[in-house]
Amino acid sequence: MEQTPKTIALVGNPNTGKSTVFNALTGLRQKIANYPGITVERKVGTSIIGGVLHQVIDLPGAYSLNYKKLDERIAYQALIGSYEHEEKPDLVLAIVDVTNLDRNLFLVSQLLDLKIPVILVLNMMDVAEQKQITINENLLSDNLGVPVISVSAKQKEDIERLKNFIATEELKAPQPLAWLESFQIRRALGKVKKEWIQPCTNIPEAAHDTEALRLISEGNFDEVFYKYQDKEKGLSVIKQAREILEQAGENPMAAEVLQRYDFIDRCTKDATQQTTDSSLSLTDKIDSVVTHKVFGPIIFASVLLLMFQAIFSWATPFMDFIDLIFVETGNWVANTMAPGILNDLLVEGVLAGLGGVVIFLPQIIFLFFFIYILEGTGYMARAAFVMDGFMTKVGLHGRSVVPLMSGFACAIPGIMATRTIENWRDRIITIMVLPFMACSARLPVYALLIAAFIPSTTVLGIFTYQGITFFALYIFGIVMALVAAAVMKRFFPSGQQTPFIMELPAYKMPKWDVVFRNVADRGWIFVKEAGKIIVAISIVLWFLASFPNVDEQEYAQNAYDGETIESYQLRHSFAGKFGQIIEPTIEPLGFDWKIGIGLITSFAAREVMVGTLNTIYSIEGDDEDIVTLKEKLINDTDPETGKPIYSVATALSLMIFFALAMQCMSTIAIVRRETNSWKWPTAMFVYMSALAYVCSLITFQIGSNL
Amino acid sequence: MYPLNHTKEGEQVIVKCIDCHCDDVCRLNELGCVEGATGIIISNQKDVIFKVGETRLAINNNIAKSILVSPN
Ligand SMILES: Nc1nc2c(ncn2[C@@H]2O[C@H](COP(=O)(O)OP(=O)(O)OP(=O)(O)O)[C@@H](O)[C@H]2O)c(=O)[nH]1
Repeated sequence: MEQTPKTIALVGNPNTGKSTVFNALTGLRQKIANYPGITVERKVGTSIIGGVLHQVIDLPGAYSLNYKKLDERIAYQALIGSYEHEEKPDLVLAIVDVTNLDRNLFLVSQLLDLKIPVILVLNMMDVAEQKQITINENLLSDNLGVPVISVSAKQKEDIERLKNFIATEELKAPQPLAWLESFQIRRALGKVKKEWIQPCTNIPEAAHDTEALRLISEGNFDEVFYKYQDKEKGLSVIKQAREILEQAGENPMAAEVLQRYDFIDRCTKDATQQTTDSSLSLTDKIDSVVTHKVFGPIIFASVLLLMFQAIFSWATPFMDFIDLIFVETGNWVANTMAPGILNDLLVEGVLAGLGGVVIFLPQIIFLFFFIYILEGTGYMARAAFVMDGFMTKVGLHGRSVVPLMSGFACAIPGIMATRTIENWRDRIITIMVLPFMACSARLPVYALLIAAFIPSTTVLGIFTYQGITFFALYIFGIVMALVAAAVMKRFFPSGQQTPFIMELPAYKMPKWDVVFRNVADRGWIFVKEAGKIIVAISIVLWFLASFPNVDEQEYAQNAYDGETIESYQLRHSFAGKFGQIIEPTIEPLGFDWKIGIGLITSFAAREVMVGTLNTIYSIEGDDEDIVTLKEKLINDTDPETGKPIYSVATALSLMIFFALAMQCMSTIAIVRRETNSWKWPTAMFVYMSALAYVCSLITFQIGSNL
Repeated sequence: MYPLNHTKEGEQVIVKCIDCHCDDVCRLNELGCVEGATGIIISNQKDVIFKVGETRLAINNNIAKSILVSPN
């Protein structure tokens, strides 16, 4: 390769090791962001190859260039240089899973037509060796007309070898259409190119063959990304091209694919050797149990139960430790700094607000840890398959399972993941019900209330009432999502159902360093993002809850019996007065004005609720004995009646409200972006919040009368 | 020839004909399930897991009905 900086794109099917190669090539010199205006992830980095600093782009995984999904379209557009946010690559590293070569070479055969230099990287050689697959790289390279190198992306020395290979290879674009033998396809292709694509579209020349073939196979150009004119003429030319194939007895939809697979067959026949083993692999044997129609759903439910029980019990010691740190720091600051406004602001505003949220970091870390493990092992795809029949019945799709499961971590990646659902109706229903899945931001609220009000009695030896309540809340979210989907299904025109076709990857041990890095990233994002709003809201709230000051005389005259001056001050602060204005609306749900303030602030983000309560209760509490928020809630009493504010019914009602209400600005924003309209986020906000109000009302009214 | 949903676990078959909606045919083809491809049935409980080459395809009953195969 010439000694000038180049742009190198990594392209390949999903799960072939692109990200592993990308990470190994770029190390820490990488940046992950979204493409502007859309939520497809863009990964760019730099790598020193042969002494020159090159740019490396990891394009979204694609099965072919016949884009059906947004990710595939972006990859295609980037490769042909028609995507304004991406430079056209000078070199493509086609990463393939060598244990599934023929299938992976389908995309490669399309890449060869794009007039860009390609190096074929045969990845997963370690697995191939175990399976006794041998490859003659030179022969394969001669047959395909591109340089070929075998690697195992997990091995450092292989990455070095790959870098040397790139540095020494001469960059030359392969011969396009080398796979094409059929005269009829050539004729049809030539017709569409000459009569419509060249004169009537602005798609780059390098993509003319690929696009013409795509149009012939699809029969229309409904979803193209480029500008064109004379639609009528286009449709007529495509029709004539398809007729050429039909008259020759070929199926226009399949002719190209079959020719490509013939070519792949010819290329790999002598170049690969594999001992044919018709016995079932370990993955196949596991699959026959895990995807079994009876055991499959049971295993799925057990995995979820175990996951939530573990999150609750394993995280407890870490949470207690963080709690202790914040309480002690609060005490230390309160006693060390001179008393005054700054002291109060720091202890009651910033530390109390932040501590209330950071304490839930261990549970969030465990949650993401489990989700990454389920994804990394390949189980998520099985869950989608197992649940497809059921999901279809309630108006969703098997593919909705993975977004919905991601929703346990956060609705935002879940909503982004719905892009893999091709049918618009299935996708919009999934988006609309996804925020019912109990995301990690609800966790702080659930955890606090459960720990404070649900007994920790053990049941069946290993479970506790707390763990079971926690699990029940997650199940409640799932049930509500399914019910809502079943109802929405009735309102949407049915259209064409997208059937379930999905690749099930082989089971793998997750790559632990990647799991830990991703979990750490997620944890940090939680602290940073939540921290920012929480500190801001805590400061504002501290001000509103601390002013105006009341004087002792007024307190002595007007306070209830036994009411402390701090409680009196809070009740007469700006926040207290506002809380009391909204109290009549939320009183039937069992909430007092303090919870009301928490509810209002939590519409910015759910986790803010805990920070808010912490700030409010710190202001109200006596500085001398800083205790945990849990204890403060348990001990809180109504100054007028002397009765506890929180009962089990209040706690349940509050948890139900949080389970159902749409309290997340970021989710609203992402729904707006993904659906390109305000209609859906508005409808989502209204129906979820109304449902939350009604269900909380029922819960409290029934609970408090039992 | 018979539909894929009429196969038994462990059976080895050749794909003879795919007769479903164009988009689904394209998807199946891209995943390696083309006419003439050979594969083995991993599981068939209404929905089918069909292994073509090294690709394990999870296919629901409706689509499985439209893939005609014959024993290999
Ligand atoms: N045994 C083995 N596993 C590998 C190798 N390269 C990657 N993997 C594993 O294969 C899985 C998929 O790798 P990724 O790098 O995430 O694949 P990807 O192509 O980026 O996947 P998508 O993001 O879905 O497109 C991970 O579990 C990797 O650890 C390899 O050479 N050998």
